[in-house]
Amino acid sequence: MSIYSSAVKKPVTTLMIFIAIIVLGIYSVYKLPVDLYPEIEIPSITVFTTYPGASAKDIEANISEPIEDGLNTVDDLKEISSVSRDNLSIVILEFEFETDLSEAANNIRDGLAFVEDELPDAAEDPQIFKFNSSMMPIQMFAITADENYEGLEKLLEEIFVNPLNRIEGIGSVSVVATPTREIAVEFNPRRLEAYNLTIEQIGQILAAENMNMPTGNIEMGKMDYPLRVEGEFKSSDYIENVVISNVQGKAIYLKDVATVRDSIREMTMDEKINGKKGVRMMVMKQSGANTVNIAKQVNAKMEELKANLPPDVKVQTIFDSSDFIKGSINNLTKTLMFAMLFVIVVVLFFLGRWRATFIVVLTIPISLIVTFIYLRLTGNSINIISLSALAIAIGMVVDDAIVVLENISKHIERGSSPREAAIYATNEVWLAVVITTLTVVAVFFPMTMVGGMTGIMFRQLGWIVTITVTTSTLAAISLTPMLSSKLLRLKKKHKKPGKFSYDRTIRPMLDKFDNWYARVLRWSLSHKRIIILAALGIVIGTVLLAPRLGTEFMPQTDEDRFNISVELQAGVRVDESVKIANKIDSILFNKFPQVELVSTSAGADDEGGFLSMFRSTGSNIINYTVRLENSSERDTSIWEIMEAVRKELKVFPEIVKYNVTTGGGMSGGMAQNNIDLEIYGYDLEKSTRLADQLADSVRNIPGARDIKISREDEKPELQVDLDRRKLAANGLNTAMVSSALYNRVEGLTATQYREQGEEYDVVLRFKKEYRNSISDIKNIDVQTPMGTFVRLGELGEIKEYYAPPNIERKRRERIVTVSATPYKISMGELASQMQEIIENTDVPTGFMVEVGGAYEDQQEGFQDLALLLVLSLVLVYLVMASQFESLKMPFIIMFSIPFAFTGVVIALLIAGKPLSIIAALGAVMLVGIVVKNAIVLVDYINLMRDRGHPLADAIVLSGRSRLRPVLMTAVTTILGMLPLALSTGEGSEIWSPMGISVIGGLIASTIITMVIVPVVYMLFTRSGERNKKAKLRKNYEFLD
Amino acid sequence: MKSVFIIFNQAHSEKMEYMFDYLDIRGYTQWTTVYGRGSNDGDPHMGTHTWPEQNNAILTLVEDEKVDALLEAVKKIDAVNEEVGIRAFVWNVEKMV
Repeated sequence: MSIYSSAVKKPVTTLMIFIAIIVLGIYSVYKLPVDLYPEIEIPSITVFTTYPGASAKDIEANISEPIEDGLNTVDDLKEISSVSRDNLSIVILEFEFETDLSEAANNIRDGLAFVEDELPDAAEDPQIFKFNSSMMPIQMFAITADENYEGLEKLLEEIFVNPLNRIEGIGSVSVVATPTREIAVEFNPRRLEAYNLTIEQIGQILAAENMNMPTGNIEMGKMDYPLRVEGEFKSSDYIENVVISNVQGKAIYLKDVATVRDSIREMTMDEKINGKKGVRMMVMKQSGANTVNIAKQVNAKMEELKANLPPDVKVQTIFDSSDFIKGSINNLTKTLMFAMLFVIVVVLFFLGRWRATFIVVLTIPISLIVTFIYLRLTGNSINIISLSALAIAIGMVVDDAIVVLENISKHIERGSSPREAAIYATNEVWLAVVITTLTVVAVFFPMTMVGGMTGIMFRQLGWIVTITVTTSTLAAISLTPMLSSKLLRLKKKHKKPGKFSYDRTIRPMLDKFDNWYARVLRWSLSHKRIIILAALGIVIGTVLLAPRLGTEFMPQTDEDRFNISVELQAGVRVDESVKIANKIDSILFNKFPQVELVSTSAGADDEGGFLSMFRSTGSNIINYTVRLENSSERDTSIWEIMEAVRKELKVFPEIVKYNVTTGGGMSGGMAQNNIDLEIYGYDLEKSTRLADQLADSVRNIPGARDIKISREDEKPELQVDLDRRKLAANGLNTAMVSSALYNRVEGLTATQYREQGEEYDVVLRFKKEYRNSISDIKNIDVQTPMGTFVRLGELGEIKEYYAPPNIERKRRERIVTVSATPYKISMGELASQMQEIIENTDVPTGFMVEVGGAYEDQQEGFQDLALLLVLSLVLVYLVMASQFESLKMPFIIMFSIPFAFTGVVIALLIAGKPLSIIAALGAVMLVGIVVKNAIVLVDYINLMRDRGHPLADAIVLSGRSRLRPVLMTAVTTILGMLPLALSTGEGSEIWSPMGISVIGGLIASTIITMVIVPVVYMLFTRSGERNKKAKLRKNYEFLD
Repeated sequence: MKSVFIIFNQAHSEKMEYMFDYLDIRGYTQWTTVYGRGSNDGDPHMGTHTWPEQNNAILTLVEDEKVDALLEAVKKIDAVNEEVGIRAFVWNVEKMV
């Protein structure tokens, strides 16, 4: 028994099955996490190796190169690059997408085992490090304080960090740039000399004084007493009264040679929020945990915890990545609702009956909800891609139900009972319905096979549309007949329909339209030449227009925040940087009313942790995070504001370089839009010069912004050059001298002072005024093993020199990149202009310059899409050829495809959007939708001819009769996409190009399909060709 | 006894079942899904893509006096909508076991 007759005969079972689907779907919706994009595992592994004391060049030669050579043959490796800095080598291995990273890590470990022998002994073992999106902070808070600033570290630890860490799914909570308490013992070297003391001796004395020690047990009478010496400092005041020496019978106290300060550590980083002193707190999630969910819990907990804060401590949100996700998803959900509403109105408009509309529209929620079950089963999330996929599918899922329902109504009108009509009418059309669905699947299913970065987005889209459309077909041949048999009635013909009834308002209008179209069609069939020439003209026009369309990878999004990085002259002190930072702060606040919060950090944090891998820091660098008002509340876009900020920064003479970039990070690096000029070549000086030269030319391109050279400026360094003979004469070696130098300048941590369970370092060093100049350094006394003292100046020279701070390599060659981002021009255009610069530049021998960066991803993405398009076309052809049992018919139908692309190009040009991957995806999807319309028409023409109508009549008749179904399909899809195309607000930049391209393509192709396809059909076929009787007669002439 | 052979569009199936009960005719034989076309007009019922409609056929043996009522009923069903299609043919029955 067929599916539809079973469904009609067992209505309760059918209903229960679909209710079960809905219940499972609703359950899944509640359980599904919400995210911005499908989860992306960035396929790269980093190997860190530290080699203390080595310069960037040494690191490159001794660490980075051997590791690169050793790991070059690891399986699935796409590209190997490295950065060599002072003391540190970072080798980055980028793998093909979908590589099993844990296996890759094992391979790397094996590879490193071979290399390890070649590495210098002093180098530490290489560390393997897998990048994970969970390392990026999902929330960042600014915490400002006045009186309590100095105690902020402990306060935050107790009030926020510990309670927040208990939330499930939290990876870590870290606080940046907190003032750390430290007991600083600062010496006057002259006094030390006078008493013949050294910092090391005093350190030992302090450590010996500050101790608690168990010293055994004493048995007294019946009791056993443990014996202890309690010598730890009870308060930091005790420290200065420690006796450190005896001279001529008099005790020398620590306070005689040094000052003891119990305060906060000398800061090399200045952190301000809205111009006030403060710190930043970052929340990181565990990998796989849900951003929105965790942010929600953190925010709730924070509200609760804030009550415990002293009144002067204020907490503000710098960013909350869940806001953008929630905003985007809400926005998209609203769009989806509008789309559904539009589809319902269109169906009602064309069918004119409430019950029929209800039956058809019911397939929408059922097919959409299946998506959520799929997402839940595969461990995916509700995200922009899955919701846009639903928006695309929404117009398509009603098509099958409409075809079935129309045929059932036809039977009912002919007098069948609804039950009979439901079974037999479905029997007549089910095959056609399944085949049109197959063509749609033929377009969307290949998407599930796309690889690379684009694949991650398209795979989900492909699956979702395939699944929803298949479900809708199943519903159309089971649920729709069942409901029709129960709900549809034979309408009594009103003798006199009411004045505003459907029969007197919309129906005559539609009838008139049908007649008009029939006339147009008849005219076109007799003026084939004009039509074909016009069509050719349109195609040529598109080809000419297309180059004016810019290209980009992913549309940029306005996430309400941007970063500024300002670089001053290399070597500038933090205090100086702070002065400039304050000036910029006040400009941001006074000139830009849209700015809500500015978080500034100037200088380098010695324990900046992971974030410092992404942001370069240094005493001369100021980093800003600026938060703006919500995008819906301001008129100026973030890009305009950024451009205005750039103009302001330009006038500062102190600023050497500045970069203003959007949020970033959050979208997993997908939203990048930089174009790199990659300069390969060995000679450091020449390549730096070439990079400068190229950067200058790029600066002259009007739309190029944020020009960056990846090789940092050489920075001045002081180097102590020791004379080994003099060292030997004094019985010293390099290690002894350098540790003496370290203890006096950086400081010797002698012991820990304990207070309320917390430990604070007691650090001994020279007073600041005694370590401020080269002569101060030369004056440092070093004690020889004989107990005598030598000045450092006697042991060697102190030289100032410049060193490159980092050397980068890619594909095992040295590389410098000059990168730029486009402003008000498309990425493709900027890339071609930069390509021109390469051609016009005289590249020295031994050097090679290439265009790369996000532009490379874009090219790869478009290649993937082009391949996808070809695959879809082939599959669609296969499906159609087997449906029509003809090799020619699919060609006639495919004539409508180029016109869809015409529509895409024109729509994007009108909207002023570049062709991004997303817009191109819209164009690929069109293939399925457009072809579907043409199939409906051609199939019907064939039918009419088979039934004996002459060619031209058959075409006009079919056109007239199929106009409404085709219009209905097109209009439901167009209106379904309209909210997507027009939506503004959070995240809309990502999906609106897709809406625009689908709408443009569909309008153009529908109009053209209805004229060109019939004309082409007429050209390709001969009258009487399908007259099987005539053919047969030839075989059976003997009967005559 | 007469034999009545009725060919009808599948869309009439339920009406036929009801008709036999209504006329109190118990015995009949039905062939489902049979194809054919009318002598004068109407669409062929071939179960193909071109002519998707299909027929069922019923052979029933009835008392002579019931034949007219049966033909009358068939005529009424046909009158609902002639496009759907139903025809009945009557033969004499010579012998039966």
